[in-house]
Amino acid sequence: MRTNADCVIIGGGIIGAAVAYYLAKGGMTNCVLLESEYLSSGATGRCGGGIRQQWSTEPNAQLAMDSVRIFKTIEEELDADIEFLQGGYLVLAYTDEDVEQFHKNFELQRRLGLDVEILQPEEIASRVVKQVNTDGVRMATYCPTDASANPFLATKAYAQAAVRLGVEIELFTPVTRILREGNRIVGVETERGIINTPRVVNAAGSHSVPLARTVDVEIPITPYRREILVTEPLERFFDPMIISFSFGIYFRQVKHGSVIGGFAYADEAPGFNEESSIDFLTMMSRKLSFLMPALKHVKVVRQWAGLYDVTPDAQPIIGETDGVDGFFQANGFSGHGFMIAPKVSSLLSQLILGQKPDLDIDRLNARRFSEGDVDLDHSVV
Amino acid sequence: MRLTQHPILEFDRGREIEFEFDGRKLLGFEGESIAAALHANGIRVFRESIKRKRPRGFFCAIGRCSSCLMTVDGIPNIMTCVTPLKEDMKVETQRGKGAILLTESFSPGSRPTEARRGAKDVATVSLAIVGAGPAGLSAAAYAGRMGVETIVIDENDVPGGQLIKQTHMFFGSREHYAQIRGIDIGDELIANLSGLPVKLMLGTTVLGLYPDRTLSLLANRRHIELRADAVILATGASENMLAFENCDLPGVYGAGAVQTLMNVHGVVPGKRVLMVGAGNIGLIVAYQLLQAGVDVAAVIDAAPEVGGYHVHAAKIRRAGVPILTSHTVQRVTGPDRVESAEICRVDDHWQPVPGSERTLSVDTVCLAVGLTPNCELAFQMGCRETYVAELGGPVAAHDPDLETSISGVFIAGDASGIEEASTAMIEGRLAGLAAAELLCREVDREELKRLRSEATSSLKTLRAGPFGATAREGKRKMFKVGS
Ligand SMILES: Cc1cc2nc3c(=O)[nH]c(=O)nc-3n(C[C@H](O)[C@H](O)[C@H](O)COP(=O)(O)OP(=O)(O)OC[C@H]3O[C@@H](n4cnc5c(N)ncnc54)[C@H](O)[C@@H]3O)c2cc1C
Ligand SMILES: Cc1cc2nc3c(=O)[nH]c(=O)nc-3n(C[C@H](O)[C@H](O)[C@H](O)COP(=O)(O)OP(=O)(O)OC[C@H]3O[C@@H](n4cnc5c(N)ncnc54)[C@H](O)[C@@H]3O)c2cc1C
Repeated sequence: MRTNADCVIIGGGIIGAAVAYYLAKGGMTNCVLLESEYLSSGATGRCGGGIRQQWSTEPNAQLAMDSVRIFKTIEEELDADIEFLQGGYLVLAYTDEDVEQFHKNFELQRRLGLDVEILQPEEIASRVVKQVNTDGVRMATYCPTDASANPFLATKAYAQAAVRLGVEIELFTPVTRILREGNRIVGVETERGIINTPRVVNAAGSHSVPLARTVDVEIPITPYRREILVTEPLERFFDPMIISFSFGIYFRQVKHGSVIGGFAYADEAPGFNEESSIDFLTMMSRKLSFLMPALKHVKVVRQWAGLYDVTPDAQPIIGETDGVDGFFQANGFSGHGFMIAPKVSSLLSQLILGQKPDLDIDRLNARRFSEGDVDLDHSVV
Repeated sequence: MRLTQHPILEFDRGREIEFEFDGRKLLGFEGESIAAALHANGIRVFRESIKRKRPRGFFCAIGRCSSCLMTVDGIPNIMTCVTPLKEDMKVETQRGKGAILLTESFSPGSRPTEARRGAKDVATVSLAIVGAGPAGLSAAAYAGRMGVETIVIDENDVPGGQLIKQTHMFFGSREHYAQIRGIDIGDELIANLSGLPVKLMLGTTVLGLYPDRTLSLLANRRHIELRADAVILATGASENMLAFENCDLPGVYGAGAVQTLMNVHGVVPGKRVLMVGAGNIGLIVAYQLLQAGVDVAAVIDAAPEVGGYHVHAAKIRRAGVPILTSHTVQRVTGPDRVESAEICRVDDHWQPVPGSERTLSVDTVCLAVGLTPNCELAFQMGCRETYVAELGGPVAAHDPDLETSISGVFIAGDASGIEEASTAMIEGRLAGLAAAELLCREVDREELKRLRSEATSSLKTLRAGPFGATAREGKRKMFKVGS
């Protein structure tokens, strides 16, 4: 393990891997990525892999759209298959609030140039997917360029490309403490020794909170369990991710043919609990077989849970920490970190490399919380 | 081919009915497995493998592997080895991953709510036992005897576990059911439950085991939740596969599968069989094949000596079947089913000896190469996992009371390490007694102590001698690690 590095990245999820790659690509190759278990062992490997551009605030939509642009060529750039598929997102509206919000979103997204459209319930079957039960559906929005990818493959692709450029990745190496002298970072301590470094990227998902505390920094992230399940594989029969905010549900058919999806309990207690529950299994099965009745014959083969690292405004915390030079946050993705990972990671690396980011991300600095400047996105599942 | 005459068994078949296979009308018996009915009609290829489109038939016949998946009445991925045949069923060879019906009608109105379900939706019981094999039934008898309200759950419609297909006489002392056929021991174990607070829940699969000992059950396509104060997992074992060229060809079957087909459904697996494995299971099934009028070309084993009891081996030899030790199977051949098998000698390092290859003309290869404990439920719940080769590989760690690392969750029988029905029964007893001690405040301590020490010494006797050496060593390692 290197003992001196220009930057240490903590966390081998999609964010840590992508940041490592973009840093090395930008010329900072003496980086070390430390992961306490294996790549994608955190939220990344547990996520749905959905890539949605239909957001209700401009910055989020912009980040997602820019990320899709990167995703489209990333397989070539990284020389790896990540099962990227532009199968679209079908978003179902059930309530008055849904309908009102959907129209607002539609206006905003169209203004940004997104190819989103409004569908009437009876158009869904002929235009997008035959098997959806439209009972109770008031309207839907559909964006054919929304996408999905395999999070394991994407993380691995970024990580391997980073290694090819000179980055060192150490697995099963938890960081026990970040080291600080006065107002600057000087290194990290691991179970296998110390690495001296002037820069640390805290990309440890929900575990970023206890890590930041080792240098007396508080970040406003609350972990929440989110459950998810996968069925046996079937021949491919639908392409889009299907979601509904009022059901809190999302599901899609992955390349292998399995249907993968989850929903969020509104009353989930905060904490690091990652156990699977029977409640989720039964409720998710009911919801799925309501929304797509043909699925009632399909067997669930696995269920699991992961953590959402939720911030007060459901937007990530990106940027250098005020008062601690060299301490960069890349966490708090609040359940949508996979889809924006390419753009956010590239922007953060520009910041670390001392370049001017090509999109404003200063608004994502943690200082927004002390300044009371928060803008809640209504499109979180 | 169906058996009409058998020296021991009488087949109590259901009504003869018509069903459809890939558009053809065939005859079968109501209630037998779809796989058995197809086999009786000479059909061995059930599906195509997903990637390489290779022909596949069934393998385990007890709903453990996924070799026999077919499309039945339009629904793909149906395990035909455990799904009962019904009149006018439409059975289709499954190609690829299977497609779901696109014409499914919608169910308007019943929009699911967000709410978590309350306690009212959950049934409760003091002790839940998963598996009605010898271990589970004995556990129920002893827990019930101590007054514990118990439910025994098994996915099969008939209790008895593996015993329901064992037509041979068991060995050992009377106390351990020697000289009784396995099929009759099951009946005796059921009779033992009469008058006790024990209920059987058959045709019910335990899908999952969740925190708070909540079981997810599937019965007749209905989902049931059951919360138990204690759980005994007596889920038995699954047959091992052996890797050789074309080992996935229809006609390569597990020994238990052959037994099920023959002794439960009265259908013979083929005309001429190569038995791989000369342990007790291989020897016994080879003998049962002979009893059913099937030719056994040879029994082979890679080990230099016969692993099973000599009495069993002697019976086989007397019938003229060669037992070839230091031999293995290299490959089987055939367009879409086994037509021949190539065997060869192996050296001291279990490597094939060049030039020793021989081709046997057989249509069935029966694998009796060991079992692996079914511990998935324990692992899902988070019980600590250990690897003990002598017990069959990955097993849930447990203490001498059969309790796992999670309090109130016990594991017994083949699921806690591969042994025999006789030891499974005693382990079941011990687990039942331990659960009773945990659950009953007013239990007769003296009686409990007496029954326990009786069971412990029985286990010791059963594991004594050279044939118990592996299990002895396995359990020694297990208890050293602790649960
Ligand atoms: C059920 C579920 C479904 C989701 N679906 C989607 C979706 O469809 N689309 C989408 O965009 N997002 C989705 N998300 C969110 C998405 O998974 C996350 O936002 C994203 O993966 C975050 O990546 P990350 O790299 O920040 O975090 P993580 O993947 O959690 O990576 C953090 C890593 O840090 C490591 N670590 C922790 N502590 C230490 C330490 N002390 N030392 C070293 N390493 C440490 C962890 O082991 C972990 O691997 C979903 C999340 C969940 C839970
Ligand atoms: C050919 C052969 C010959 C044998 N001969 C002898 C002999 O001579 N003497 C001897 O002592 N032993 C013999 N045995 C071994 C003996 O059969 C087993 O050791 C014994 O059956 C193990 O008992 P058990 O209760 O642990 O498991 P099993 O008998 O396998 O019972 C487990 C039960 O649990 C059910 N189950 C599993 N998972 C679930 C679930 N999730 N939900 C619902 N139900 C579930 C299974 O369907 C099964 O009915 C022989 C075995 C074979 C294959």
